[in-house]
Amino acid sequence: MESLSPGRLALRRFFRRPAACIALVLLSGIFLFVFLGPLFDPIDLSYAEPLHKNLSPSYDMLQIPDALSRNIRQISSRSSFSVGLDGDGRVYTWGKTYLRDIGTDLSDLPEEVRGRRILHAAAGVDHAAAIDENGYVLCWGAYDNGQYGHNGSMLAAARPQPEELLERPLDPSGVRQLVCGNQVTAILMNDGTTYLWGNYSIGAVNLPSFEGTKDLAKIVFLQSLIAGITTDGEFVYGSSGVFEICEIRASDGTVFLGNLREYIGDRKVLDIAASMTDVCLLLDDGSLVIAGASGEDTRRTPVIPDGETVVVLSGGARHYAALTDTGRILTWGSNALDQTDIPAGLTEPGAADEVICAGFQTYAVRSGTLAGKWGFRGYLMGSDELGRDIFTRVMNGGRMTMTIGAAAVLISAVIGILIGCISGYSGGKTDFFLMRMTEIFAAIPFLPFALVLSALLRRTDVKEDVRIFLIMVVLGVLSWPGLARLIRGQVLAEREKEFVLAAQAMGVPEHRIAFRHILPNVISVILVSLTLDFAGCMLTEATLSYLGFGVQLPRPTWGNMLYGCNNSIVIRSYWWRWVFPALFLSVSILAINILGDTLRDIFDPKSEVEK
Amino acid sequence: MGKYLLRRVGYMLLVLVLLSFLMYLIYSMIPFDRARALAEEQRAAYKNDPAGFEAAYQNYRHQLGLDRSVVFRYLRWIGLVPVDGVYDGLLQGSLGWSFRYSRPAAEVLAQPLRNTVFLNLFSTVLSLGITIPLGIFCAVHRGSRRDTAVQIGTVVGYSVPGFIAAILFICLFAVILPVFPVSGMKTPGSSYTGLRKFFDELYYMALPILVMTFSSLGGMTRYVRAAMTEALTMDCVRTARAKGLRERAVIYSHAWRNALIPVITLVIGWFLRLFSGSLMIENIFALNGMGKLYITCLNANDYEVVLLLQMFYVTLALLGNLLIDIAYGLADPRVRADRPERR
Repeated sequence: MESLSPGRLALRRFFRRPAACIALVLLSGIFLFVFLGPLFDPIDLSYAEPLHKNLSPSYDMLQIPDALSRNIRQISSRSSFSVGLDGDGRVYTWGKTYLRDIGTDLSDLPEEVRGRRILHAAAGVDHAAAIDENGYVLCWGAYDNGQYGHNGSMLAAARPQPEELLERPLDPSGVRQLVCGNQVTAILMNDGTTYLWGNYSIGAVNLPSFEGTKDLAKIVFLQSLIAGITTDGEFVYGSSGVFEICEIRASDGTVFLGNLREYIGDRKVLDIAASMTDVCLLLDDGSLVIAGASGEDTRRTPVIPDGETVVVLSGGARHYAALTDTGRILTWGSNALDQTDIPAGLTEPGAADEVICAGFQTYAVRSGTLAGKWGFRGYLMGSDELGRDIFTRVMNGGRMTMTIGAAAVLISAVIGILIGCISGYSGGKTDFFLMRMTEIFAAIPFLPFALVLSALLRRTDVKEDVRIFLIMVVLGVLSWPGLARLIRGQVLAEREKEFVLAAQAMGVPEHRIAFRHILPNVISVILVSLTLDFAGCMLTEATLSYLGFGVQLPRPTWGNMLYGCNNSIVIRSYWWRWVFPALFLSVSILAINILGDTLRDIFDPKSEVEK
Repeated sequence: MGKYLLRRVGYMLLVLVLLSFLMYLIYSMIPFDRARALAEEQRAAYKNDPAGFEAAYQNYRHQLGLDRSVVFRYLRWIGLVPVDGVYDGLLQGSLGWSFRYSRPAAEVLAQPLRNTVFLNLFSTVLSLGITIPLGIFCAVHRGSRRDTAVQIGTVVGYSVPGFIAAILFICLFAVILPVFPVSGMKTPGSSYTGLRKFFDELYYMALPILVMTFSSLGGMTRYVRAAMTEALTMDCVRTARAKGLRERAVIYSHAWRNALIPVITLVIGWFLRLFSGSLMIENIFALNGMGKLYITCLNANDYEVVLLLQMFYVTLALLGNLLIDIAYGLADPRVRADRPERR
């Protein structure tokens, strides 16, 4: 039989165990995921997307149906689902069409929509509308707040759908535009008349004053406003204070607060597009202007290439796109969900003859067929109650949980090794004193004590980073006694061996014997204990955070991501909110525990004999 | 043994004083001015009288001892220093006043204590009933396929954090199969008595009890298995086998008796640790127990209740250690001898 060094022997024994190998692979994977992932996808703690609350895991938000992609006429979207209309008058839906909070499925098209030839179709936040070739207005989706029809509780309904639309059809060829907003709908006719209805108290607060505006050419809905332009190129919005003092971002890069109408002055507005928070106007001098509630700096206007002029605008939920006269696509706005990442092949002139921003997606169309699509695809692990990506939060939360666990273990290791070694090697009064101290620390009821300490940290005015560091210290300081006792016991046994006597005889200093001669002999025991303690500390951090006494929201950890997930509604309907953090936490702890157990077995020669 | 016990009790009291002072110190460092809060309640009476308000505030400060050092307040709380000539502290049986509930702290504590003990007692009995036979079985059939399966199960069991187990159990037994209620203490509107009341409570506590039992299965089974494995290698077991005793007798009366010693110590320690473990379970299930009360009062700055609960947890922990010492002493004559450390 060949002779092996103890290290190689241990390695060989380790790799002979399948469970240990799987655990090692899993743990390394999770380590890489949580420590490398955040480098590529850093978390923005203030980020939230109200339109994407509680979306289930999926990656199909950009999956426009094949039949539609060959014959695109209209695409629209405002939140999580998209509605498309092809040249033959067929309506398609894709994305998250099932709205859990309301219990309606938008892909469940009414018989009339499916059977008839549709001329206009539009998607709202929780409803959709269409106009068929006979001029009938057909709606589906949520209706409780007066989105359409006169059914439902109508408690919040501000203005029900006009009777005449329910009774007799419109002139189908006279319809210029059908547009849906947040529980509101507008139909603009070629002669400039409008039909406006829905729950305008949340969807378009200025709707009553907007109604009756003459010669409208285009209508847009913001989150809670309606706006438009007239055939004379005037920007109209009824009466609303929002555009009287608003943040204006001009083409030349200037940003200032001002009155949008005054800024436009005599210039005509050629086109208008709206996102949730602001409008983008194309002025007749070729410049663009974005105006609305002040917000992120990402909403600056794009650089228009020399010699080109913008022809048409399109607005999504948080971004815009435009087409120049050469057929070049420009896109700008928030890129939080990849809305403005144009594929490489579409940046040149002539890429498209139409560009459609629909919600968080963008579609480039060339002669009716899809030339390219980009934007938000979906959340791999779903989104939480604030519309944040759980994947990102699991990744960043894991880094926090593991960092705290590791730091706490390091602190407890330093204290434990020092006290264990000194106590075991010196003996006598030092040993007595240190062991009594260890006993006191061991008698501290862990959880209540940790809770009081973190309550203290929470009330005292310290920065979040300092607080997190102090949590590590608290965990470390409370968890060393076990290790210290273990090391002391081992050192006591080692101390009696001959090599110590030899070292003493050679005149090696005492502290050097303790730390350089004895400590290496007990390192395997320490290693095992540290591995298992690491799992313990991660668990404690998660528990504290779960109880609201650890790391505070919005900064994620695997523990506080589960905060609020213990009610049956979340457990049943939003399973992805607890399954993923719980899975990662449990699997990590399981893998660490298996590794610890395996290490103990392979370092302990007796265990092999036993079998 | 008597001398040994006396020393341990004395030592325990010393640690109790030390720890309770430490916890008192930490808690009193939380920036919250109870005197200010009490004075604010009287704000209306001193509407146009800032001086009167200040006087009332100072009066409250004096009453609460906030104008004195923390050591003084601690001693007063313990009952070693008189308040206005009267000793009125823990030692005199005065457990304090709950500002949140406007009742004596002892009254506030009564029902939660009952619930917590109920919860812990049941889950202890349940998990012992499962883990001891399982651990013995695994040790006897060590290395068999069934043992390996149980080993894997126990690693998974003790790796799943309690609150995740709770969520899983709610998902399984309250959402998918609506068998047990998620929260509540009794059937609403019911006024059962006797056995009926007991079973009703048991029904409402079923999920917390199950979760606590589940969380303890993994660690306990492994411990019992380890203790039993150790005992099975003892000489006395070999002797018993050599005598030709039946295997059942060898296992249950020879090996198990020896394994019992570490198991008993474990059970004591573990039972006491459960009280802080149930802290989390109670909060998840909104169960009116000590742990829930502790966190509620911690958040509400109800300091006398928090201090009392802290004292309870510390005492419990120390009592547990003492019991373990005694159990060791009873089981192992070498400990009783109280010999000095080997040098």
